[in-house]
Amino acid sequence: MTGCDHVRPELGGYVLGALEPEEEAAVREHLATCSECAAEHASVAGLPRLLALAAPMAEAGPPAPALEERVLDAIAGERPQRASRRRPRLLRPRVLVPAVAALAAVAVAVVIAVGGAGEERTPGFEVALQPVAGQSATGRAVLASADTGIKMQLWVRGLPPDPGIVYEVQCDAPGWTASAGTFRADSHGRAYVVLNTAARRGEYDAIRVVRRSRSSSTDVLQAHL
Amino acid sequence: MAPSDAQLIQRVRADETGEAMRALYRTYSGELYGFALNALGERGAAEELVQEVFTRAWRHAATYDAGRGSVRTWLYQIARHAIIDARRRASVRPSLALHAPGETDVGEASPTIEQAMLGWQVVAALERLSPEHRQVIRLAHFQGLTMREIAERCELPVGTVKSRTWYALRSLRLVLEEMGVR
Repeated sequence: MTGCDHVRPELGGYVLGALEPEEEAAVREHLATCSECAAEHASVAGLPRLLALAAPMAEAGPPAPALEERVLDAIAGERPQRASRRRPRLLRPRVLVPAVAALAAVAVAVVIAVGGAGEERTPGFEVALQPVAGQSATGRAVLASADTGIKMQLWVRGLPPDPGIVYEVQCDAPGWTASAGTFRADSHGRAYVVLNTAARRGEYDAIRVVRRSRSSSTDVLQAHL
Repeated sequence: MAPSDAQLIQRVRADETGEAMRALYRTYSGELYGFALNALGERGAAEELVQEVFTRAWRHAATYDAGRGSVRTWLYQIARHAIIDARRRASVRPSLALHAPGETDVGEASPTIEQAMLGWQVVAALERLSPEHRQVIRLAHFQGLTMREIAERCELPVGTVKSRTWYALRSLRLVLEEMGVR
C-alpha cells in the first residue's frame, strides 16, 4: 500500500485526471482505505466541475476594443432620437451619431445635434479627425455652436497609453490659433472630453490635436473644415 | 470614493458625457461577452449582443431596483432576454441560424445565468493565483496534458509538477471560498 506522504502530492493530478494509469490506480486504492487522504481529496474534488464552467468564459477572451466606442456611440445616438420623439410636430431630420466605423469615411459630415428634452435644436457638425502622417490615432469631434464660442465633444483613440502626455486641441485660422483646452489619454490610449473654445463657427478652418511637451509640440490629428 | 454600480445606473440617463455608462461597460463587458459568445457561438453576434445589452440597460435604467438584485444579475437577465430574441430572429432566417436546428431550444439560454456567473467567478479566481499555479491548472485541465507531459514541456521534475498542481488546487479552493463560491 502506498503511504500518505507519497499520495498527497499526487492528489492534484488525480483530481484533474492527469496521472498515468498505474499512478491513478495506486491513489484510488489508497483513498479507499485512508480517511485523512480521502478528506483532502474531497476538499478539491469539486474543482473540475467549476473549472469546466470557467472554460468557455476564459476562452472567449475580451471583445474587440472598438466595441466600447460603438456601444457608447449607439447610446449617444439614442438621445436625440428620443428627444425628438417628444416633439413629433417639429421638423426633425433623422439624426444618428455615426458609428466609429464611419470615422475614416468622410472628413466632415454635417449632422444636427439635438439638445436635451424641450431645448432648442442646436445645429452642430460632426468632424472626423485624421491622423497626421506617422501617427496612428483617430478621433472625431461634435461641434455645437453657442453665442460665446463652440462646445466641442471629442473622442480620440489609438494614442500611446501614457498618462504623462498632455494633448492640446487647437482651432486654427490663417494667422491665429484659439486653444480649446488640454486632455490626457487613459490607460487604453483613449480620451473623451468636452471642451469649450472662444472660436466661433466660421472663425477657424482647421482643428488640430497636438502633443505638448516642454520644448515643442507635435501634431497628432487634424481636420480641415 | 468610486460610485457603486447602482449609483452608476441611476446616473446614466442624465449623464451626457457617457462616463457612467463607460464605467459599467468596462466592468461588465468582458463577462457578458463571454456569456454571449458561449450562447451564440459567433464573435460578431456576441459583440452585437453586448451592444444590445448596454443599450437596453440605458433605455430601462429607471426600472433597475437595487432591492431585487445586483446590477450584475440585472445585466445578465437583460443579456438572457437579448439572446432569446437573437435566437428567435436567427430561427426566422434559417440561413443565419446560429445553432443547428434542434441543437438547443429557442428560448433556452445555455449556459444558464447562474452557470455563466459562476464560471466568471472561477476565471476571476484563477487570475488571483500565481502564474505558476495558473499554468499547471491550465495545462492539465484546459489542455488535458498529464503531469508527465507538463514536466517535459516545462522542463521540470515530474515531482515538482505534481506538488505544484496540488498546491495550485488548494489555493484555488481557498480563493473561491473567499469569494463565497463553494
